[in-house]
Amino acid sequence: MDKTLSNFARISLALMASTVCLAARAGDHFADDRIAVAKAAIEHAEQAGGPEAAPVAMASARDKLVLAETASKNHDDKPAAAWADQANIDAQVAEATAAQVRASKAALEFDASLQALRQEASRGSQPQ
Amino acid sequence: MNTKLITAISLALTMGACASVPLNNLALENARSAVRAAEADPNVSTYDELDLHTARSELDTAEAAAAARDERGIDQPAYLAMQTAQLAQLKASARANDARVAAGRADRDRILLNARTREVNSALLQRDQATLARDQATQEASISDAARNQATQQSAALQAELDALKARPTDRGLVLTLGDVMFDTGRAQLNPGGVRKLDQLVQFLTDHPERQVEIDGYTDSVGTDAYNLDLSQRRADSVKYVLVTRGIDSMRIVTRGYGKEYGVASNSDSGGRQLNRRVEIVIGGVDGAPVAGRIS
Repeated sequence: MDKTLSNFARISLALMASTVCLAARAGDHFADDRIAVAKAAIEHAEQAGGPEAAPVAMASARDKLVLAETASKNHDDKPAAAWADQANIDAQVAEATAAQVRASKAALEFDASLQALRQEASRGSQPQ
Repeated sequence: MNTKLITAISLALTMGACASVPLNNLALENARSAVRAAEADPNVSTYDELDLHTARSELDTAEAAAAARDERGIDQPAYLAMQTAQLAQLKASARANDARVAAGRADRDRILLNARTREVNSALLQRDQATLARDQATQEASISDAARNQATQQSAALQAELDALKARPTDRGLVLTLGDVMFDTGRAQLNPGGVRKLDQLVQFLTDHPERQVEIDGYTDSVGTDAYNLDLSQRRADSVKYVLVTRGIDSMRIVTRGYGKEYGVASNSDSGGRQLNRRVEIVIGGVDGAPVAGRIS
């Protein structure tokens, strides 16, 4: 009985310790993780043609990332996370704009080529 | 951001007057219209429900903050709702275009396949026609070869027959000479050697029914002219008789007696005189024209 109780106590202590540890860790990186996500989204958008297709959204994302980083340095975690989230969504919008422009252009070009092909095919079939 | 803050503040001040009305601001208004636009976009319901769902829940958060008159809690979720709704529309539009192109590729492939099939069929048809034409050409060539071979063979056969007759070509036609030895001395009757020699001529005339024949009799200068003319004529007639009894149409045959005229050798010696005693058979051409007479 003593042994069981001591075992239970040990497990409880371990669980408590790890919970405290996790909570402390989460508190430390509350904004940093969101900033990291925003950074990654901005980099991805920059490589995907975001600056060309949506310069305003791209600039907004970068400005907000700076605000987030500044707030994080001042240990203002909540506004840092908020700015980071906005920077993230702006970067995603920029990237999606670039993708939308590309897809739209490709579709128009494809329509034109298909139209040309149809005319070619109907012309080719007529003399037969 | 400044204008939004000012708007939010002024809205907050305005709303503060009537507490029963939920708090409202521009960010929330923008978020609502963005979410409504995304909801009305048919592409979004087909291609990006997930982002629309996220936008709605951010909008709900913003609405809840507004309802709770938590002014500072509105802007962030409202902004995220607006941007996420826009993101949903952008992604949906891109996916819709991609899908249209993908569907169009199937169309394009079908058109290309049809065109290719037509090309192949056309090529096959042309090849068949070419093969047919070549076969015809080959056939025609072989027919003309055969005709040429036949003509060559006929020509060779004629030559062989003429060689067998020992006929020699002259201005009047092919001339076959029956020498004096083919006749009994002083008589018109052909001896068996002469009859045998005529066998080949009969065969030739049977094979070539279009050819006319002139039979000319000649003598040496011994004896009277009247005798010699008569003998030469009778010898020519004797040859005609043999040909007619062998089935040659008498209408094809003309006979003449020239007597001592047109000697081929001197009458001063017996050898020359023997050569002059002869019957010449002149064979006409393929045109069936009568043999031209001797020019005196």
